[in-house]
Amino acid sequence: MEHLKRLRFVMVAFVLACMVVSGCSSSSKSEDPGSAKVTLVWWTHDNPSFVAANKKRIEEYKKIKPNVTINYQYFPYDAFIQKAKAAYAGNNAPDIAQLFGTWVTDYAKNGHLATAPNQEELKKNYFEAALGAYTVDDQIYGIPQEYNLENGGVLAHPKMFQAKGLSYPPKTYAELVDAAKQLTVRDGNKIKVKGFDFVSGDNIFFTFMSFILQQNADYWTNDGHVNLTSPEAVTAMTKMKELVTIDKVTDLTRFGDNLDSSDYFFKGSSAMTIRGPWTIANGVNTYKVDDFDYIPMPSLTDSPPYFAAESGWGEVVAAKSKHKQEAWDFVNYMNGKEQALDFNVTTFTVPARKDVAVDPAYLQKLPKLKTSIDVLKYGKWVGPVQDRDFFVKQVNDNFQLIASDKISVQDGLKKIEKSVNEMIDQHLSVGKKSS
Amino acid sequence: MSKVLTLYRQYRLDRRFIFLSLTPILLLFLIFSIAPIVWGIILGFYQYSALYQESPFIWFDNFTNLLKDEVFVKSFWNTFKFVGIAFPINIVATLILSLGINKIRSTFWRNTLRTMFFLPTIAPLSGSAIIWSTMYKNDGGLFNMILERLGLDTVPWLSDPSIAMWSVVLMTLWADIGFNIVIFMAGLDSIPVQFYEAARLDGASRYVVFWKMTLPLLQRTTLFVTVMTLISYFQMFPQFQVMTNGEPQNATMVLALNIYSNAFQYNNMGYASAMATVLLLIIMVITLAQIRLGRSKWEY
Repeated sequence: MEHLKRLRFVMVAFVLACMVVSGCSSSSKSEDPGSAKVTLVWWTHDNPSFVAANKKRIEEYKKIKPNVTINYQYFPYDAFIQKAKAAYAGNNAPDIAQLFGTWVTDYAKNGHLATAPNQEELKKNYFEAALGAYTVDDQIYGIPQEYNLENGGVLAHPKMFQAKGLSYPPKTYAELVDAAKQLTVRDGNKIKVKGFDFVSGDNIFFTFMSFILQQNADYWTNDGHVNLTSPEAVTAMTKMKELVTIDKVTDLTRFGDNLDSSDYFFKGSSAMTIRGPWTIANGVNTYKVDDFDYIPMPSLTDSPPYFAAESGWGEVVAAKSKHKQEAWDFVNYMNGKEQALDFNVTTFTVPARKDVAVDPAYLQKLPKLKTSIDVLKYGKWVGPVQDRDFFVKQVNDNFQLIASDKISVQDGLKKIEKSVNEMIDQHLSVGKKSS
Repeated sequence: MSKVLTLYRQYRLDRRFIFLSLTPILLLFLIFSIAPIVWGIILGFYQYSALYQESPFIWFDNFTNLLKDEVFVKSFWNTFKFVGIAFPINIVATLILSLGINKIRSTFWRNTLRTMFFLPTIAPLSGSAIIWSTMYKNDGGLFNMILERLGLDTVPWLSDPSIAMWSVVLMTLWADIGFNIVIFMAGLDSIPVQFYEAARLDGASRYVVFWKMTLPLLQRTTLFVTVMTLISYFQMFPQFQVMTNGEPQNATMVLALNIYSNAFQYNNMGYASAMATVLLLIIMVITLAQIRLGRSKWEY
């Protein structure tokens, strides 16, 4: 009897187990794989206008793909840089991350990112400068949402020009410097209002690169190193130094300050400031000012106003993501023409997509960005800088020494060239792409 | 015989207790203190970045490169400059202040002053640094507003390479002296009053009492305060990162900040580890010298 009871128990247990197993397998079989519930983790930095645009995309996508949940997390810029590095290094990266283009190269060549599925389409539809840093060994590892440029345009206060009876906007570099001299307001030895400010973390570097390009020269050698001791580089650095030491239209006092040079512009502490168009959002939304323009930056020479540009913010998918297909689907959705247009309008960024840049709707909504759109054709990708922050710091450090007459232009450029080439060698010697 | 056995059992029990109570602490110390130090030293011999898939062993390259790196050399001297200015001012100021506060007879005022000086120590250093940055602002900063009201020239507190380090030192002293004041006051309180009474009866002057009695009897406290302050000043980081990030012209680039920049900004962890090893050696040598020089052989 006891034996029978035990047998019955075993049979019941077996039947139940079979039911559970069949239940599980039948549900996964009957469900369309595209509609299985998926949660994608998405990391970005916390720029308010970027966050607003990103949240809009998530809401829209919920309606299109209700089975996909986006776990959106955003962090302060500095924390985000560290968090992203730690996550990718620890193979614990989010499915999707909004990374700055120039960082992408290092992640991609060390096998942390998945290649974008639609390579040819991207090459056709996006600006080369915007894709530059996303491309390693001719493979694209992400989709840029903006064409990041720090040059090409200058924030300007037309009223200050009017008050001095100056022609506006300045058409040549000489006119710009002349106007800047007259617009500079002094208080003893100190400058109260800078006539033309370019002394900021990004703009010393990009102005220098652009001045070289505008002399129809290049700062790259054929073997992927930099040549910063050419006569054109000397002229470029000398011109920048003169703005501080001879023309005296700016100084070094606000370098490294907690406020951005554009903040000082919007507070009326400079008449013209060279800065990326993305700062316009700050003026309009934070300072609530509209009495400024974004005018073209004249070329240093008779050549067109060539400039160096970085690949801006864009989306990448982790190589280790378990939901690569779903992640790319979402990224592709975000970068559809309509969505890309909305992102660029909301964030005051320049489109990375060519068709968005020429869409009249873009300039209708952001008329101040006409200057940037007009100069896009002169933009060149800054090149394989390897460690962007290191490169920029070398230029910034030595420019400050040069402008303070602590070292000569030639010596400063030699030091930049040497240290940057050493850094490039170091990067090229390790971290080859694994695939 | 049974007494011997009992003693032996007691001895074994004591040994077991010591073993059981010390093992977890020593294990924690080994895992969280010794292992990271050893690992850090080893990394200094590799071209290591967490993002890279390969990290070649490069012998002493990172260490020899340090000597050629102008920013490292500058950060090395800046660290000594910071410690050289801030450390003696801190020790002298805190000793004088604690002596002064200790002389106050009213317990209420003594405690109030001690709390007042100690309050900034409670605040996170990075938070204090943000507040001081706003006070140091060129335009609209508190200090420059005061100077303007007084009809004086404004000062570029953080943007002039010759002033920036002094500005950071001032902030550090404000944020930091409370801790040492409390320690010195505890040291002063522990000196038996009878010694002072005996000195007064012998007709010793205040000067003699301070130099011949208070200061020697504070030797152990002073040793603790100087060692801890020196170590923490060599490692100072938050205010440099928040207030200046090493600018202007690397005038406030100290070793700890340089290590951080190389490790986390430039992804050059091997090189940063080599720098950290140098900093470790500096601190170790100075601390050992301090402990040796400050050794005392008395008790009361």
